[in-house]
Amino acid sequence: MIPALGLLLGIVAGLVFDVSVPLALQPYLPIAVVAALDAVFGGLRAVMDGVFDDKVFVVSFVANVLIAAFIVFLGDQLGVGAQLSTAVIVVLGIRIFTNVATIRRHLFRA
Amino acid sequence: MSLITDLFANALDEGYAEAAARRRAAGGPASSGNRPRMSLALMAGLLGLGLLLVTAALQVRADASIVSAERESLVERIGLAASHTDGLERTLSDLEGDILQIESRQLDNVAVSSELRESMAAMQGSAGTGAVEGPGVVVEVDDAEDGATGGTSGAVPSVLDLDLQQVVNGLWAAGAEAVSINGQRVTAMTAIRSANDVILVNFRPLDPPYEVRAVGDSRTLGSRFLEGPGGEWLLDASTTAGIQFDIRNVDSLTLPAATAVLRLAQPEDAT
Repeated sequence: MIPALGLLLGIVAGLVFDVSVPLALQPYLPIAVVAALDAVFGGLRAVMDGVFDDKVFVVSFVANVLIAAFIVFLGDQLGVGAQLSTAVIVVLGIRIFTNVATIRRHLFRA
Repeated sequence: MSLITDLFANALDEGYAEAAARRRAAGGPASSGNRPRMSLALMAGLLGLGLLLVTAALQVRADASIVSAERESLVERIGLAASHTDGLERTLSDLEGDILQIESRQLDNVAVSSELRESMAAMQGSAGTGAVEGPGVVVEVDDAEDGATGGTSGAVPSVLDLDLQQVVNGLWAAGAEAVSINGQRVTAMTAIRSANDVILVNFRPLDPPYEVRAVGDSRTLGSRFLEGPGGEWLLDASTTAGIQFDIRNVDSLTLPAATAVLRLAQPEDAT
């Protein structure tokens, strides 16, 4: 329950402070969101599996976001930014789906 | 394929398994902390996620509003340009009225010229550059009613430029002496054509319903039009596509003047 409070707090903070993103970083924001989603669902699954680790979670969260953004940035420089964004989304999307499926099995035994 | 299979099999970060194995080897529990559900790290991660989500969503909203603001400013500019065009046209017709006045004043000065002036007015009437008045018929043509299906595309059938051309031709054939469509006088230089589903007459876009006014003998013009090719065309369009039309005789019609300026064509000397 308390981690969910964190999510709520984050949303409220985002609404209140109205963070403006530099123009150069804007294309990487959606990718960063998907990467963060992946890390969070991975962490939740680890909690349910009983193997959660603070350090691994924090490191994977930050690294996921940065690497996803960096890959897309690299793709933009090479002229294949759109394709690489798709690749990142597909890979992270599959991981999110699989992890959520495991969480679902833990929660509902189905 | 093995890449994707791998992705499905090891969706969880391998770091978790390694850390758990290390702790087990050290004799502790698999998970760090007694109550992982209260983990501060998880809360911080979710906080970060919420922040990112809201920032991204707000960004998308802001971008969308910028795009719509640009469109609105374009629409505004179109409106301004259109009103500017209207103003210029008003000026043009005012100036032409002035020219007519000056011409008639000049002609008044000369005694022999009253006859000349009458013939000039008649010529301007038939050429369409002078406003005319007289009895005639009004043919109103409109798109099919909503829900009517006809044609092939499945859309509601609308009046085509060809329909108006046939109506105007039919009216000339039935003995009309002057024709106008929605206030646009049809002259020798008038084109009736469509551009992007909008019908242009004298290069001005018109909206349905189209009111075609024709000055002529109101006792015969309507019936001759209906029996002629124009009426046949309209009846056909109305039965096959549901195009609506209405013909009525009017005792007095006023048709506006058109501007038909010859820039290059010069009258040939009668030698």
